Amino acid sequence: MNNNFEELQSKWDNNKKTIESQPSTFNELYKLIKSKERENYFFYYGTISTLFITFVVIALFLIYVAPVKAMLSRLGAGLMLLGLLFRIGIEIISIYKAKRINNTESTLKTAENTINFHQFRKFIHQIISPIIIILYTAGFYMITPEFSLHMQLWNIVLIDVSYVIIGVILFIVIRKGVKEEMGKLREIMRLRNELIE
Amino acid sequence: MLKNNNTLFESVYDQHHPMVLQMCLGFVKGDSSTAKDLSQEIFIVVWNNLSKFKGASSYKTWIYRITVNTCLQFVKKDGKVKTVPTTEIENKASVAEDGSTENNNIPQLYKAIGELNEVDRLIIMMVLENQDYDCISEVLGIKPTNVRVKIHRIKKRLEIILKSNNNE
Repeated sequence: MNNNFEELQSKWDNNKKTIESQPSTFNELYKLIKSKERENYFFYYGTISTLFITFVVIALFLIYVAPVKAMLSRLGAGLMLLGLLFRIGIEIISIYKAKRINNTESTLKTAENTINFHQFRKFIHQIISPIIIILYTAGFYMITPEFSLHMQLWNIVLIDVSYVIIGVILFIVIRKGVKEEMGKLREIMRLRNELIE
Repeated sequence: MLKNNNTLFESVYDQHHPMVLQMCLGFVKGDSSTAKDLSQEIFIVVWNNLSKFKGASSYKTWIYRITVNTCLQFVKKDGKVKTVPTTEIENKASVAEDGSTENNNIPQLYKAIGELNEVDRLIIMMVLENQDYDCISEVLGIKPTNVRVKIHRIKKRLEIILKSNNNE
Protein backbone atom coordinates (compact mmCIF):
# COMPACT_ATOMS: atom_id res chain seq x y z
CA MET A 1 0.00 0.00 0.00
CA ASN A 2 2.83 2.38 0.92
CA ASN A 3 4.65 1.91 -2.41
CA ASN A 4 1.57 2.79 -4.39
CA PHE A 5 0.86 5.78 -2.18
CA GLU A 6 4.44 6.98 -2.42
CA GLU A 7 4.18 6.75 -6.19
CA LEU A 8 0.99 8.80 -6.05
CA GLN A 9 2.70 11.31 -3.77
CA SER A 10 5.59 11.69 -6.17
CA LYS A 11 3.21 12.25 -9.13
CA TRP A 12 1.36 14.83 -7.05
CA ASP A 13 4.55 16.70 -6.17
CA ASN A 14 5.79 16.62 -9.76
CA ASN A 15 2.57 18.05 -11.12
CA LYS A 16 2.62 20.82 -8.56
CA LYS A 17 6.00 21.90 -9.84
CA THR A 18 4.48 22.26 -13.34
CA ILE A 19 1.68 24.43 -11.93
CA GLU A 20 4.15 26.53 -9.91
CA SER A 21 5.99 27.47 -13.09
CA GLN A 22 2.86 29.03 -14.63
CA PRO A 23 2.66 32.85 -14.42
CA SER A 24 -0.03 34.55 -12.27
CA THR A 25 -2.83 36.42 -14.06
CA PHE A 26 -4.02 39.07 -11.59
CA ASN A 27 -5.75 41.38 -14.06
CA GLU A 28 -8.15 38.64 -15.11
CA LEU A 29 -8.79 37.78 -11.48
CA TYR A 30 -9.44 41.39 -10.40
CA LYS A 31 -11.93 41.80 -13.27
CA LEU A 32 -13.68 38.64 -12.14
CA ILE A 33 -13.79 39.87 -8.53
CA LYS A 34 -15.48 43.12 -9.65
CA SER A 35 -18.08 41.29 -11.75
CA LYS A 36 -18.72 38.81 -8.92
CA GLU A 37 -19.28 41.71 -6.49
CA ARG A 38 -21.93 43.15 -8.82
CA GLU A 39 -23.50 39.71 -9.26
CA ASN A 40 -23.65 39.20 -5.47
CA TYR A 41 -25.17 42.62 -4.97
CA PHE A 42 -28.00 41.78 -7.37
CA PHE A 43 -28.37 38.32 -5.83
CA TYR A 44 -28.82 39.78 -2.35
CA TYR A 45 -30.75 42.94 -3.10
CA GLY A 46 -32.44 42.25 -6.48
CA THR A 47 -35.49 40.46 -5.08
CA ILE A 48 -35.90 42.93 -2.20
CA SER A 49 -35.73 45.89 -4.60
CA THR A 50 -38.31 44.31 -6.95
CA LEU A 51 -40.66 43.55 -4.05
CA PHE A 52 -40.19 46.99 -2.54
CA ILE A 53 -40.86 48.77 -5.86
CA THR A 54 -44.01 46.63 -6.34
CA PHE A 55 -45.11 47.56 -2.82
CA VAL A 56 -44.59 51.30 -3.44
CA VAL A 57 -46.32 51.20 -6.86
CA ILE A 58 -49.37 49.36 -5.49
CA ALA A 59 -49.54 51.61 -2.42
CA LEU A 60 -49.33 54.79 -4.53
CA PHE A 61 -51.90 53.39 -6.99
CA LEU A 62 -54.35 52.59 -4.19
CA ILE A 63 -53.80 55.92 -2.44
CA TYR A 64 -53.65 58.39 -5.33
CA VAL A 65 -54.87 56.79 -8.59
CA ALA A 66 -57.70 54.57 -7.42
CA PRO A 67 -58.38 55.21 -3.73
CA VAL A 68 -60.69 52.49 -2.48
CA LYS A 69 -63.51 53.53 -0.14
CA ALA A 70 -65.49 50.39 0.74
CA MET A 71 -64.42 48.55 3.89
CA LEU A 72 -64.04 45.25 1.98
CA SER A 73 -61.78 46.92 -0.59
CA ARG A 74 -59.68 48.62 2.08
CA LEU A 75 -59.27 45.28 3.83
CA GLY A 76 -58.27 43.74 0.49
CA ALA A 77 -55.72 46.49 -0.18
CA GLY A 78 -54.34 45.96 3.32
CA LEU A 79 -53.98 42.22 2.74
CA MET A 80 -52.14 42.78 -0.55
CA LEU A 81 -49.72 45.29 0.94
CA LEU A 82 -49.23 43.29 4.14
CA GLY A 83 -48.42 40.16 2.12
CA LEU A 84 -45.75 42.05 0.21
CA LEU A 85 -44.26 43.59 3.37
CA PHE A 86 -44.15 40.14 4.98
CA ARG A 87 -42.38 38.76 1.90
CA ILE A 88 -39.79 41.58 2.09
CA GLY A 89 -39.18 40.72 5.77
CA ILE A 90 -38.68 37.04 4.89
CA GLU A 91 -36.21 38.00 2.16
CA ILE A 92 -34.18 40.07 4.65
CA ILE A 93 -33.99 37.06 7.03
CA SER A 94 -32.98 34.90 4.08
CA ILE A 95 -30.10 37.25 3.21
CA TYR A 96 -28.98 37.21 6.84
CA LYS A 97 -28.94 33.40 6.80
CA ALA A 98 -27.13 33.31 3.42
CA LYS A 99 -24.45 35.64 4.76
CA ARG A 100 -23.92 33.31 7.71
CA ILE A 101 -22.60 30.67 5.31
CA ASN A 102 -18.95 31.54 5.69
CA ASN A 103 -16.48 29.52 3.68
CA THR A 104 -13.69 30.43 6.08
CA GLU A 105 -15.21 28.28 8.83
CA SER A 106 -14.72 24.53 9.23
CA THR A 107 -16.36 22.27 6.66
CA LEU A 108 -18.78 20.79 9.18
CA LYS A 109 -19.89 24.21 10.44
CA THR A 110 -20.29 25.52 6.88
CA ALA A 111 -22.27 22.42 5.90
CA GLU A 112 -24.58 22.92 8.89
CA ASN A 113 -25.12 26.61 8.08
CA THR A 114 -25.81 25.69 4.45
CA ILE A 115 -28.34 23.05 5.48
CA ASN A 116 -29.98 25.58 7.80
CA PHE A 117 -30.21 28.11 4.94
CA HIS A 118 -31.72 25.66 2.45
CA GLN A 119 -34.18 24.32 5.02
CA PHE A 120 -35.31 27.90 5.55
CA ARG A 121 -35.58 28.47 1.77
CA LYS A 122 -37.58 25.25 1.45
CA PHE A 123 -39.89 26.42 4.23
CA ILE A 124 -40.37 29.76 2.44
CA HIS A 125 -41.18 28.09 -0.88
CA GLN A 126 -43.38 25.40 0.62
CA ILE A 127 -45.30 27.29 3.32
CA ILE A 128 -44.70 31.05 3.37
CA SER A 129 -44.94 31.83 -0.36
CA PRO A 130 -48.29 30.01 -0.82
CA ILE A 131 -49.71 31.83 2.25
CA ILE A 132 -48.56 35.18 0.87
CA ILE A 133 -50.04 34.38 -2.54
CA ILE A 134 -53.35 33.37 -0.92
CA LEU A 135 -53.41 36.63 1.09
CA TYR A 136 -52.53 38.65 -2.00
CA THR A 137 -55.15 36.85 -4.12
CA ALA A 138 -57.85 37.26 -1.48
CA GLY A 139 -56.99 40.98 -1.25
CA PHE A 140 -57.06 41.31 -5.02
CA TYR A 141 -60.53 39.73 -5.34
CA MET A 142 -61.82 41.81 -2.41
CA ILE A 143 -60.95 44.98 -4.33
CA THR A 144 -62.49 43.95 -7.67
CA PRO A 145 -66.17 44.52 -6.65
CA GLU A 146 -65.44 48.22 -6.03
CA PHE A 147 -63.34 48.43 -9.19
CA SER A 148 -66.23 46.89 -11.19
CA LEU A 149 -68.34 49.96 -10.33
CA HIS A 150 -65.94 52.14 -12.32
CA MET A 151 -64.84 49.74 -15.06
CA GLN A 152 -66.52 47.84 -17.88
CA LEU A 153 -67.31 44.17 -17.26
CA TRP A 154 -64.91 42.90 -19.94
CA ASN A 155 -62.07 44.79 -18.25
CA ILE A 156 -62.81 43.12 -14.92
CA VAL A 157 -63.08 39.69 -16.59
CA LEU A 158 -59.76 40.30 -18.35
CA ILE A 159 -58.03 41.31 -15.10
CA ASP A 160 -59.48 38.31 -13.21
CA VAL A 161 -58.57 35.80 -15.92
CA SER A 162 -55.06 37.19 -16.33
CA TYR A 163 -54.60 36.93 -12.55
CA VAL A 164 -55.43 33.19 -12.76
CA ILE A 165 -52.81 32.77 -15.48
CA ILE A 166 -50.25 34.60 -13.33
CA GLY A 167 -51.28 32.33 -10.43
CA VAL A 168 -50.58 29.20 -12.51
CA ILE A 169 -47.16 30.57 -13.52
CA LEU A 170 -46.37 31.39 -9.87
CA PHE A 171 -47.38 27.84 -8.85
CA ILE A 172 -44.97 26.39 -11.41
CA VAL A 173 -42.16 28.73 -10.28
CA ILE A 174 -42.71 27.84 -6.60
CA ARG A 175 -42.78 24.11 -7.39
CA LYS A 176 -39.51 24.45 -9.29
CA GLY A 177 -38.02 26.38 -6.35
CA VAL A 178 -39.02 23.67 -3.87
CA LYS A 179 -37.51 20.97 -6.11
CA GLU A 180 -34.25 22.90 -6.43
CA GLU A 181 -33.99 23.49 -2.68
CA MET A 182 -34.74 19.79 -2.01
CA GLY A 183 -32.01 18.77 -4.46
CA LYS A 184 -29.46 21.09 -2.84
CA LEU A 185 -30.48 19.94 0.63
CA ARG A 186 -30.07 16.27 -0.32
CA GLU A 187 -26.60 16.93 -1.77
CA ILE A 188 -25.30 18.92 1.20
CA MET A 189 -26.78 16.44 3.71
CA ARG A 190 -25.09 13.60 1.86
CA LEU A 191 -21.76 15.48 2.04
CA ARG A 192 -22.22 16.22 5.74
CA ASN A 193 -22.98 12.54 6.40
CA GLU A 194 -19.87 11.53 4.45
CA LEU A 195 -17.92 13.88 6.67
CA ILE A 196 -19.18 12.61 10.02
CA GLU A 197 -19.65 8.91 9.29
CA MET B 1 -4.94 50.74 1.95
CA LEU B 2 -6.21 49.21 -1.30
CA LYS B 3 -2.65 48.88 -2.54
CA ASN B 4 -1.69 47.08 0.69
CA ASN B 5 -4.65 44.75 0.25
CA ASN B 6 -3.60 44.02 -3.31
CA THR B 7 -0.01 43.34 -2.26
CA LEU B 8 -1.09 40.99 0.52
CA PHE B 9 -3.59 39.24 -1.75
CA GLU B 10 -1.06 38.81 -4.53
CA SER B 11 1.48 37.38 -2.10
CA VAL B 12 -1.10 34.93 -0.65
CA TYR B 13 -2.15 34.04 -4.20
CA ASP B 14 1.40 33.40 -5.40
CA GLN B 15 2.15 31.20 -2.40
CA HIS B 16 -1.01 29.12 -2.45
CA HIS B 17 -2.32 29.13 -6.00
CA PRO B 18 -0.47 25.97 -7.13
CA MET B 19 -1.83 24.05 -4.13
CA VAL B 20 -5.38 25.35 -4.71
CA LEU B 21 -5.35 24.62 -8.45
CA GLN B 22 -3.90 21.16 -7.89
CA MET B 23 -6.65 20.37 -5.36
CA CYS B 24 -9.31 21.69 -7.74
CA LEU B 25 -7.91 19.55 -10.56
CA GLY B 26 -8.05 16.50 -8.31
CA PHE B 27 -11.55 17.37 -7.20
CA VAL B 28 -12.97 17.79 -10.72
CA LYS B 29 -11.09 14.75 -12.04
CA GLY B 30 -8.60 16.65 -14.15
CA ASP B 31 -11.02 18.96 -16.01
CA SER B 32 -8.65 21.91 -16.30
CA SER B 33 -11.18 24.56 -17.35
CA THR B 34 -13.56 23.72 -14.47
CA ALA B 35 -10.60 23.56 -12.07
CA LYS B 36 -9.49 27.02 -13.20
CA ASP B 37 -13.00 28.44 -12.63
CA LEU B 38 -13.18 26.77 -9.24
CA SER B 39 -9.77 28.06 -8.17
CA GLN B 40 -10.79 31.59 -9.22
CA GLU B 41 -13.96 31.20 -7.14
CA ILE B 42 -11.77 30.21 -4.17
CA PHE B 43 -9.54 33.26 -4.54
CA ILE B 44 -12.59 35.52 -4.78
CA VAL B 45 -13.61 34.18 -1.34
CA VAL B 46 -10.02 34.76 -0.15
CA TRP B 47 -10.13 38.37 -1.46
CA ASN B 48 -13.50 39.04 0.20
CA ASN B 49 -12.34 37.71 3.57
CA LEU B 50 -8.69 38.68 3.65
CA SER B 51 -9.33 41.78 5.76
CA LYS B 52 -11.24 39.61 8.29
CA PHE B 53 -8.38 37.14 8.69
CA LYS B 54 -7.45 37.25 12.37
CA GLY B 55 -4.48 34.91 12.29
CA ALA B 56 -6.11 32.29 14.55
CA SER B 57 -4.73 29.70 12.14
CA SER B 58 -2.07 29.90 9.43
CA TYR B 59 -2.95 31.30 6.00
CA LYS B 60 -2.46 27.79 4.64
CA THR B 61 -5.06 26.20 6.97
CA TRP B 62 -7.41 29.11 6.30
CA ILE B 63 -7.07 28.64 2.54
CA TYR B 64 -7.57 24.88 2.87
CA ARG B 65 -10.86 25.60 4.64
CA ILE B 66 -11.98 27.92 1.86
CA THR B 67 -10.85 25.43 -0.79
CA VAL B 68 -12.66 22.47 0.76
CA ASN B 69 -15.87 24.47 1.40
CA THR B 70 -15.92 26.02 -2.08
CA CYS B 71 -15.31 22.65 -3.74
CA LEU B 72 -18.16 21.08 -1.76
CA GLN B 73 -20.46 23.99 -2.60
CA PHE B 74 -19.63 23.42 -6.22
CA VAL B 75 -21.16 19.92 -5.84
CA LYS B 76 -24.32 21.53 -4.45
CA LYS B 77 -24.45 24.09 -7.25
CA ASP B 78 -24.00 21.59 -10.05
CA GLY B 79 -25.88 18.69 -8.47
CA LYS B 80 -22.73 16.67 -8.95
CA VAL B 81 -19.19 17.17 -10.13
CA LYS B 82 -18.85 16.97 -13.89
CA THR B 83 -16.93 13.89 -14.82
CA VAL B 84 -14.32 13.78 -17.52
CA PRO B 85 -14.99 10.66 -19.62
CA THR B 86 -12.24 8.05 -19.49
CA THR B 87 -11.65 8.43 -23.25
CA GLU B 88 -10.98 12.14 -22.76
CA ILE B 89 -8.53 11.36 -19.98
CA GLU B 90 -6.79 8.85 -22.26
CA ASN B 91 -6.67 11.40 -25.08
CA LYS B 92 -5.11 13.95 -22.76
CA ALA B 93 -2.54 11.34 -21.77
CA SER B 94 -1.64 10.70 -25.40
CA VAL B 95 -1.33 14.43 -26.10
CA ALA B 96 1.13 14.62 -23.23
CA GLU B 97 3.09 11.73 -24.70
CA ASP B 98 3.39 13.68 -27.95
CA GLY B 99 5.89 16.00 -26.37
CA SER B 100 4.04 18.53 -24.17
CA THR B 101 5.55 19.44 -20.82
CA GLU B 102 2.70 17.74 -18.94
CA ASN B 103 3.55 14.77 -16.80
CA ASN B 104 2.24 11.60 -18.50
CA ASN B 105 0.91 10.16 -15.28
CA ILE B 106 -1.17 13.20 -14.33
CA PRO B 107 -4.50 12.13 -15.86
CA GLN B 108 -4.16 8.74 -14.13
CA LEU B 109 -3.40 10.54 -10.88
CA TYR B 110 -6.61 12.58 -11.08
CA LYS B 111 -8.54 9.59 -12.38
CA ALA B 112 -7.59 7.57 -9.30
CA ILE B 113 -8.41 10.40 -6.87
CA GLY B 114 -11.62 11.13 -8.78
CA GLU B 115 -12.90 7.63 -8.12
CA LEU B 116 -13.18 8.43 -4.42
CA ASN B 117 -16.23 10.24 -3.07
CA GLU B 118 -16.04 14.06 -2.85
CA VAL B 119 -15.11 14.38 0.85
CA ASP B 120 -12.53 11.57 0.65
CA ARG B 121 -11.01 13.21 -2.43
CA LEU B 122 -10.41 16.43 -0.50
CA ILE B 123 -9.02 14.60 2.54
CA ILE B 124 -6.54 12.53 0.55
CA MET B 125 -5.40 15.62 -1.34
CA MET B 126 -4.62 17.33 1.97
CA VAL B 127 -2.62 14.21 2.93
CA LEU B 128 -0.76 14.46 -0.40
CA GLU B 129 -0.07 18.08 0.54
CA ASN B 130 1.64 16.69 3.68
CA GLN B 131 -0.88 18.14 6.12
CA ASP B 132 -1.01 16.48 9.54
CA TYR B 133 -4.13 15.10 11.27
CA ASP B 134 -4.53 18.21 13.43
CA CYS B 135 -4.56 20.54 10.45
CA ILE B 136 -7.03 18.35 8.50
CA SER B 137 -9.17 18.06 11.61
CA GLU B 138 -9.17 21.87 11.99
CA VAL B 139 -10.16 22.32 8.36
CA LEU B 140 -12.97 19.76 8.47
CA GLY B 141 -14.22 20.41 12.00
CA ILE B 142 -14.04 16.75 13.04
CA LYS B 143 -11.83 15.04 15.66
CA PRO B 144 -8.23 14.10 14.76
CA THR B 145 -8.95 10.46 15.69
CA ASN B 146 -11.83 10.47 13.25
CA VAL B 147 -9.52 11.95 10.61
CA ARG B 148 -6.98 9.18 11.20
CA VAL B 149 -9.60 6.47 10.76
CA LYS B 150 -10.89 8.14 7.61
CA ILE B 151 -7.43 8.48 6.08
CA HIS B 152 -6.71 4.82 6.76
CA ARG B 153 -9.97 3.83 5.04
CA ILE B 154 -9.34 6.16 2.09
CA LYS B 155 -5.81 4.85 1.58
CA LYS B 156 -7.18 1.30 1.48
CA ARG B 157 -9.82 2.30 -1.06
CA LEU B 158 -7.23 4.16 -3.11
CA GLU B 159 -4.99 1.09 -3.09
CA ILE B 160 -7.80 -0.98 -4.65
CA ILE B 161 -8.44 1.74 -7.26
CA LEU B 162 -4.74 2.04 -8.16
CA LYS B 163 -4.40 -1.74 -8.47
CA SER B 164 -7.45 -2.00 -10.72
CA ASN B 165 -6.23 0.97 -12.83
CA ASN B 166 -2.80 -0.64 -13.23
CA ASN B 167 -4.43 -3.89 -14.40
CA GLU B 168 -6.49 -2.07 -17.08
